[in-house]
Amino acid sequence: MMAPFYKFGLFGDETSLIVAFVIGIGFGFFLERAGFGNARLLAAQFYFRDLRVLKVMFTAIVTAMVGLYFLSRVGLVDLSLVYLVPTFLVPQIVGGLLLGFGFVIGGYCPGTSCVSAATGRVDGIVYILGMFAGLLGFGEVYPHIAGWAHSTPMGQITLPKLFDISYGLLVFAVVLMALGAFVAAEWAERRFGGKLPEAGSLLEPTRRLTPVRRLAVALAGLGFIALFAGSPYRDAKATVDTKQLSLEAGAAADQVSAEQLADWLIAGRNDFRIVDIRAAADFAAYHLPDAINVQLAALTADLAARTERIIICSDSDLRAAQAWFLLRSLGYRAVYVLSGGLTAWKNAVLFPQAPPIGAPARDQIDFARREAVAKYFGGAPRASSGSASPAAPVAPELPKVAPPPPPPPDEGTAPVPARKKREGC
Amino acid sequence: MNSPIETPPSTGIGGPGPELAVAGGQPGLPLAKPHMNPYWAGLGLGLVLLASFVIMGRGLGASGAFGTVTAVAMHAVAPAHAGQNVFYSSYFGDGSVNPLKDWLVFEVLGLFVGGLLSGALANRLRVTVEKGPRISTRGRLGFAFLGGAMMMIGAKLALGCTSGQALTGGALLNVGSWVFMMCVFGGAYALAWFMRKQWL
Repeated sequence: MMAPFYKFGLFGDETSLIVAFVIGIGFGFFLERAGFGNARLLAAQFYFRDLRVLKVMFTAIVTAMVGLYFLSRVGLVDLSLVYLVPTFLVPQIVGGLLLGFGFVIGGYCPGTSCVSAATGRVDGIVYILGMFAGLLGFGEVYPHIAGWAHSTPMGQITLPKLFDISYGLLVFAVVLMALGAFVAAEWAERRFGGKLPEAGSLLEPTRRLTPVRRLAVALAGLGFIALFAGSPYRDAKATVDTKQLSLEAGAAADQVSAEQLADWLIAGRNDFRIVDIRAAADFAAYHLPDAINVQLAALTADLAARTERIIICSDSDLRAAQAWFLLRSLGYRAVYVLSGGLTAWKNAVLFPQAPPIGAPARDQIDFARREAVAKYFGGAPRASSGSASPAAPVAPELPKVAPPPPPPPDEGTAPVPARKKREGC
Repeated sequence: MNSPIETPPSTGIGGPGPELAVAGGQPGLPLAKPHMNPYWAGLGLGLVLLASFVIMGRGLGASGAFGTVTAVAMHAVAPAHAGQNVFYSSYFGDGSVNPLKDWLVFEVLGLFVGGLLSGALANRLRVTVEKGPRISTRGRLGFAFLGGAMMMIGAKLALGCTSGQALTGGALLNVGSWVFMMCVFGGAYALAWFMRKQWL
C-alpha cells in the first residue's frame, strides 16, 4: 500500500479538506473527552493536582509513535514523506518558554481553547481573541526579527539521526520514559493533590491486570519489539512495474522535446518541475529557468509530491535515463526526460540555425519564431551553414545566468524545493 | 457572567464520580458526565494523530489556522500593508488558491465541531468561566486574553503549538519538538507559583 495516501496522490487537495475536517472532529472530540475544555483542569497540571495533560499527551505521542513505527516498518507508510517541521533551536526554545508562560497564564493552548470555546467557556473565547491580538502584534514585529526567528537552523532532523542511534531504540526509550512518567504522575497526584489512586489508574490498588495496565504492557511490549525490529525507513529496494515502464519507454511517452519545453516556459506554465542532475559547477554556469539542481545520488530525497510532473535535464542521455528509472521506481508518476538534454536545448532553442538562403518561405517563418524564442531565453540564432560567414567553430557563448539567490533561511539542508505553502502548525 | 445556566465552577480536579452523575445537581440541568480516563483519551487522540500521518503525511495543528485567518482579515482591511509584510504574505502561497482553502483551517473547523459534539454528549455545554475561587471573572478574562496573546507569539516563533509541535513532532521524534516540549513544561512550571491565585 502507498501511504501517506495524500502524498502518493490517492486524492486531491479538495478531498484533503474534507479529510482535514473529519480528522479535526476526532481531534476535538478526544480533547473534550479528556477534559481539556476546562482551563482549571488543564492548569491543575502545573500544581501537581491532576496530571491529565501529561497522561493524555504522552499516551497520544507514544500511541502515534509506535503505530507509525510499525506501519512504516512493514512498508505501509513511507516515513520519509511525513512532514517534519524544521528545527531552529534558539527560536524554538524561546517560543516554547513563551508558550509555557501563556499556558499557565491563560489556561489553554490553541487547540484546547477551540474546544473550550465550542463548549461555551467564555474564558476560552476571550483566550482566542487574545490569540488574534498576539498574531497582529507578532505580524508587525516579525519583519524586524525574521532573521533571528530563523537562526540556529538544524534542518528537518529527528532525534535518532541527531544522536546517531537506532530509531527503534529511541521508540523503546520514549515508551519507557512515558510509562515511568505516568507512575510518577499518579504518585505526585496522591502526594500533592491528595488524590487516591482511582479505578483506571496504573497504581490502582488491585493485583488484577486492569485494561489500563494491559495498554501499558502492550505499549511496552511493542516498544521492546521495536528495539530489535530495525529501521522504519523504507529501504533502498523498490519494486517496479516493468511492463508499465517498458510500455512508456517504448512509446517515448517519457520524453519532452526542447522546443516543447521552451513553449511551456514561455507560456508560464508552472505544473512541472525541472530537475537538473548535472554537477553543481555546470549548473552554476548555465541552467534552464526555474530548474533545481539535484545530483543523481540525492534523488532519493523527498523531491516533490509523487504526482508532480518532473522533467529531468542533463547533458548525458545515459544519466537522464538513470534518473528517470530511479524516480519512477520511487513512485513518482509523471517523470519526463528532456529529449537530447542540454545539448538539444542549446541547438534547438538557444542557438537555432538559420535556414540556408533560398529556403522555402515556410522555413523562414518558422525560423523567425525560433529566433524570438532564442532571444527570450537569452540566446541568439546562428547563421546558416551555407552563408558566407560560417558558423563559429567554437560553441557560442552561453547566456549569463544570474547567480542563484541565497537559499531562503527556512530551507532545510536537503535539496527540498520551496513549498507553495507552509505545511506546519 | 450571570447567565441563568451558570453552574458553580466545577472543581475540575478529578470530576464527580459516575455515581454522582445521577444524584442531585441543578434542577433542570443534567449533571455533566465525568471526563474520560486520560489514558484512553490519549489512546484515542494518538489514533487520530496516526490516521493523520497515514492519510495525509502530516500531523495535527491549530495555531496555523489562526495565522491564516488573521492574514486574510488583514488582507481584506489593508491589502497594501498585508502585501508588504512578509509575515502576512507568507500565508498567501503563490496566489493560485484561496488561502482559506487550507488544510489547517478545515481541521480547526472540525476541532470546534468535535469539541461541541463531545461536550453535548457529556452534558458539558455551559456558558461559564473556568477559574479558581480566588480571582474575579474580570481578572480571569484579562489573564485569558494575555495568555492567548503570549501563547500565539510563542507558537509563531516555535513554528507550532502544543498540537503541531509537541504532539505531532513528539510522535515523529523531531529534535525541535522535544526541545520545545521541555521548554513549554519548564516555562509553565516556572511561572505556576505566581499564577496560583487564578487556579487554586
